[in-house]
Amino acid sequence: MDNFTKLRDIIALTFGVPAEQITQTTAQSDVPAWDSVGHLNLMLALEDAFGLALDIEDMARLTSVPAILEYLVAA
Amino acid sequence: MKSSPDRITHALEATSRAGVLDALSPRRHTLPLPEINRLAARLRELPDERQPLKIAIVRTYTTELLSPYWTFESLLRGFELTLYQAPYGALLQELQQGAGLLEFVPEVTFLFVRWEDLHPKLAGQVTALPDRSVVQAEALDYLINMLAAFREKLPGLLVLALLPRMSLPELGIYDAMAEDSEAAFFTDLKRGIAQRLRNELPSVYFNDLDELAADLGRAQLFDLRLWYTARSPFSVAGAQAVVARLMSYPVLLKCPQVKCIVLDADNTLWGGIIGEDGVEDIKLGPDYPGSAYLAFQRRLLALQGRGLLLALCSKNNEADVLEVLRKHPHQVLREEHFAAMRVNWEPKPENLRAIAEELNIGMDSLLFVDDNEFECEAARRQCPGVMVVQAPETALDLPECLDGIPQLEVLQLTNEDRRRAALYTGRRKEQQLKATAASLDDYLESLEMVMHVGLDDRRHAARIAQLTQKTNQFNLTTRRYTEADIIRFFDDRDWLVAHFRLADIFGDHGLVGMALLRLQGETAEVDTLLMSCRVIGRGAESAFLAHLLGVLAQRGIRSVRGYYYPTAKNEMVKGFWLEHGFSVVDETTFELKPVTVPEARFIRVETEEAVPGIAGVPRLL
Repeated sequence: MDNFTKLRDIIALTFGVPAEQITQTTAQSDVPAWDSVGHLNLMLALEDAFGLALDIEDMARLTSVPAILEYLVAA
Repeated sequence: MKSSPDRITHALEATSRAGVLDALSPRRHTLPLPEINRLAARLRELPDERQPLKIAIVRTYTTELLSPYWTFESLLRGFELTLYQAPYGALLQELQQGAGLLEFVPEVTFLFVRWEDLHPKLAGQVTALPDRSVVQAEALDYLINMLAAFREKLPGLLVLALLPRMSLPELGIYDAMAEDSEAAFFTDLKRGIAQRLRNELPSVYFNDLDELAADLGRAQLFDLRLWYTARSPFSVAGAQAVVARLMSYPVLLKCPQVKCIVLDADNTLWGGIIGEDGVEDIKLGPDYPGSAYLAFQRRLLALQGRGLLLALCSKNNEADVLEVLRKHPHQVLREEHFAAMRVNWEPKPENLRAIAEELNIGMDSLLFVDDNEFECEAARRQCPGVMVVQAPETALDLPECLDGIPQLEVLQLTNEDRRRAALYTGRRKEQQLKATAASLDDYLESLEMVMHVGLDDRRHAARIAQLTQKTNQFNLTTRRYTEADIIRFFDDRDWLVAHFRLADIFGDHGLVGMALLRLQGETAEVDTLLMSCRVIGRGAESAFLAHLLGVLAQRGIRSVRGYYYPTAKNEMVKGFWLEHGFSVVDETTFELKPVTVPEARFIRVETEEAVPGIAGVPRLL
């Protein structure tokens, strides 16, 4: 499974929305459930799903699909 | 043991909630957050029925990140959860008229607070406090007063969970040696909390999350990134462990409790097969794997100490198993530890039914442990309600295989609980006597029974509430009450709470029956009348009723109404009122008018003096 598909599923699962709603350009403001608490749960879910250890600065920055995909490529 | 991804795959493929639980057990492993959400979605799709559950959270730190785990754990335990989170930091404010918490009417309320919320000085250096004991006393008073305010306004269970300290002790490795040890300071406070709750607020429960911190380790329990950025202390591992632990309370409140653990013998209590290996060669003793079986037996003995019964269900020649129980030098569980034994070649589902019948408990009060997959499956299919735990293949995992099962937890421990196992052993002897007595009357006469009846006795609130929650068979109305409810009845002059204890030549059975009466003018209503199954069949109910009718007649009561509400389990008391001279009013209502007091047979009845309670002097007869 490519990074985008995997990420899309994790976002959909975390916020309880259909996967089709998540696109390559989706950002925090596009998903109502992606609030500040939801964001932290998403970051924790990403860590578990992709085997990452995010630092606080990364968590604050990774607020959109493109930002997360870029991070995953660099990681 | 199943590896973690394997367990999750099995759980996701399970076709029932029990199947998911099986796949995930033993539940000491952390699940990744995405899998928790996946499992929650899967559990939602399963056809199992779920009962509604209302949990409220009152907190002084961020607890919103716990939500996925509350959802998952609730679904796993068969609940459809509605969660109310009080505004951040709002404690007593939530008790004011119109506050969200009161309107919500929770079944269980968890208070997530930190030590420093109890006293401003606890936020600073604890070891530097000159007035240590004063601070402790003030913190304790503040907490107890706050909990008393919650108890007064809120229904349901109330559970206090204090956040474990997040950093190492101020004095480092010297703390353990120090006169002003920080660890000792908080241990003292915790003992103070427990003691005052036991004495003053017995229906508020203190859950010690420090135990969890010891289990997981601070580094695992907390996620400092979340704490410093969002005031949310728990890691993914920590959050799920906290929620799993606290979920015991709703389960104990709303689900059938396990009363008896039924154990297989070969490869469960010891390694190997007694019929083939012989008593010398089974694995039980100081060397592995015998050491793990030994540890498991000790854990079972500890569970018996919580008031649970043990029973044996093994396909073997009885003589072979008895030889181990009687003669093996390392066997921990002896004959006297088992309340019932079925060692034969009959199918185990039949033996499970026979054990339930012998102990007078429902099938849903049994937990069955067996290493054999076939036997486990047979029990699941043929004995609905029985909880089944397949003993792990590796002996190493065996001692912990019953850990974390909420239905094995207890919220209080009464004297009856502590003595229960011995009482059942006495009962086995009693049944032998019954077989030798010429007639039932002779037998009852020979028991030399003495009943002590007491009224509105606050000492017994916990046990009386427990009886209403656990008694299913000899229970005319099956109304469940909490300890707080019972205490309210004590204080209400229109209500009378009666209980009885029963003793005979085999020993004291403890407090085994109760009745709740509502007095209105010259009429009395029997709201609740019940009796523990362990004293059924000896006329105790008639003696108790006769005594109560005497008390009511003395108080000028001219008619008594009784009710019978049928359930799946209380068929045995269907004819109770008619047998005792009451006449039918309608399908569920019976009446005795005028009140005549029958004579008790075979039982000497004495009244028990109540001790004055906290709220004042008990009412006079």
